[in-house]
Amino acid sequence: MSLYLPWLIGAALAGLAAALLKRLQTQVARAERHAFEAEQLRLLAEELRSLSEPAAMAAALAGALTPLGKSAPIVLLLQDQMPATNEAAAVHVHGEPDANQWEGLWLSMRRALAFGPGTLRHEELNAWYLPLRGREGARGAAMLPLDLGPALGLRAHAQALCDLLGQALERAATERAGARLREAAEAQGVRNTLLATISHDYRTPLATIMSAASSLLAQGERLDTRQRERLARSIVDEARSLSRMTDNTLQLARLDGPDVRLTRDWESAEELIGAVMGRLRQRDAHTRVKTRVVPGLPLLRCDALLLTQLLDNLVDNALKYAEGGGVEILARREEEAVLIAVRDRGPGVPPAWRDRIFEVFRRGPENETPDGSRGSGVGLAACRAIATAHGGRLGYRARSHGGAAFELRLPIEEVPQ
Amino acid sequence: MIQVLLVEDDRELRTTLAGALRVEGYEVRAAASLADAMALLAHSDIELVLLDLGLPDGEGEDLLHKLRSLKGTPLLVISAREQDGLKVRLLDAGADDYLVKPFSITELLARMRVALRHRGRQVAAAVTRYEQDGLLVDLAAHRVCLNGEDVHLTPTEFKLLARLLRSAGQVVTHRTLLTDVWGADCSEQTHYLRLYMGQLRAKLEADPADPKRLRTEPGVGYRFS
Repeated sequence: MSLYLPWLIGAALAGLAAALLKRLQTQVARAERHAFEAEQLRLLAEELRSLSEPAAMAAALAGALTPLGKSAPIVLLLQDQMPATNEAAAVHVHGEPDANQWEGLWLSMRRALAFGPGTLRHEELNAWYLPLRGREGARGAAMLPLDLGPALGLRAHAQALCDLLGQALERAATERAGARLREAAEAQGVRNTLLATISHDYRTPLATIMSAASSLLAQGERLDTRQRERLARSIVDEARSLSRMTDNTLQLARLDGPDVRLTRDWESAEELIGAVMGRLRQRDAHTRVKTRVVPGLPLLRCDALLLTQLLDNLVDNALKYAEGGGVEILARREEEAVLIAVRDRGPGVPPAWRDRIFEVFRRGPENETPDGSRGSGVGLAACRAIATAHGGRLGYRARSHGGAAFELRLPIEEVPQ
Repeated sequence: MIQVLLVEDDRELRTTLAGALRVEGYEVRAAASLADAMALLAHSDIELVLLDLGLPDGEGEDLLHKLRSLKGTPLLVISAREQDGLKVRLLDAGADDYLVKPFSITELLARMRVALRHRGRQVAAAVTRYEQDGLLVDLAAHRVCLNGEDVHLTPTEFKLLARLLRSAGQVVTHRTLLTDVWGADCSEQTHYLRLYMGQLRAKLEADPADPKRLRTEPGVGYRFS
């Protein structure tokens, strides 16, 4: 026994040494592995930061996972929202999963759970199904085929790689949702401004109509003929302005929509201006409005009712702000366009307001114009929408010797023979 | 008394219009639907119809056809702005004129007077001589005079003017003008019309951009007034 002791000790020492050596080697290997893993995570994180396309992101993860498994992984990611059923349209897939793999990937994503060797779930599989996890559930899954006897530590690393992508996807989804919310809030803001403007603009003529009509009703017999006539006339005038505002609001809402259809035909600028003049003369035979139309202008491809509505608005505005001075409608040809301008010699639009007059805005103390009134409500906004729908431009120009010029330019199209 | 059929489904407007028309001496029959209107037409001697579009039971085309097949009773279309397509279709189909809501009683009465003046014109001898405000047109002699001076019109210009004069005071749609002057195969060629109307205005109007005789009805047609 004692004879064997030294051998035994030697053998034990040798065994110890071998074990020590092995441990040392393992430690070196582990350290190397840790370094490799850390480097891989860093590289993938960096790569994902520069990518935004789901296809490219999935390919980056697949590239990182491939050296860990037996063959190339399959990656599935959610495009946007989680669908109720496993719809192909809702996801991007890197690789070609069979039916079982497809179900496995969806299950792993929906439950945010890993399956396969070492996970205690579906240990019999020869692949890992790893969820791409963010803070709030998974936004994808990866399937990595395995050799037999995989090291447990590798799975944790593979999962870490998958989670990197999961977090990147979650960030992108949060940003998209934020953008959607901002857009919705903006649209809501525009709608609210529009509604506030409309109700404000409607209330003024309605107040006049209400007081004039109720005065006729309650005091009719005590009013003299001239007073009654004045009240009746103001009801007619205010009703006309309400009608105009209704048309403007309707057109503004319609032309703002995604699918604008105009009833276009060949129209003559001279005739459109003539029609506007005709309507003016019905109200006032000696109108202050003059015309200057160059003969032989090219025909315009436009919606006659919308164009006359635009001109009606501009002329009405000019008459209101020209302070009794003359108003001129001018039409002439420019190189590529027909110019129709409505000009007056009134005070014009103050510089600070020139960019805003075509917007729908609310008139209130905080945005009252210096002269107290050149707020157009929806009128000029409707005019600009009409011009734009025709591929034309409506702009404001301050005239050199004072006054406002609203200039509409419409593109010239070739008339058929 | 002239009997007028007023077809309007809004009670307030129907009552107001009926009241205003009675003050002017018309005998007003009111209907709130096309069915009511058809029944009234069958049993009374209506001489003019005012038809509001957008009635609950149809678009009014049947009523127009019935009127035309009976005795050519004039029909005025009353439309809201959104019903422009339908309005033009009824005018193309032979309705006499139109008014867009909201309109004044003065406008309505003026349109009615013109429509009644044209009543039965299709069968009566056509007016061949027109004279007003310095313009003289002798359709038989193919002669046009403005302020005592002869105006030369091309044959097409003359045909166009004659067609508008035949319906003086009433709107004539683009399609009707194109068909009657150029022929049915040109009914869509609005640009012919723009060109020739421009030439007519240059010859007959003091300011072609502010015409007193050859009026444009945007999106519908022209009116000689």
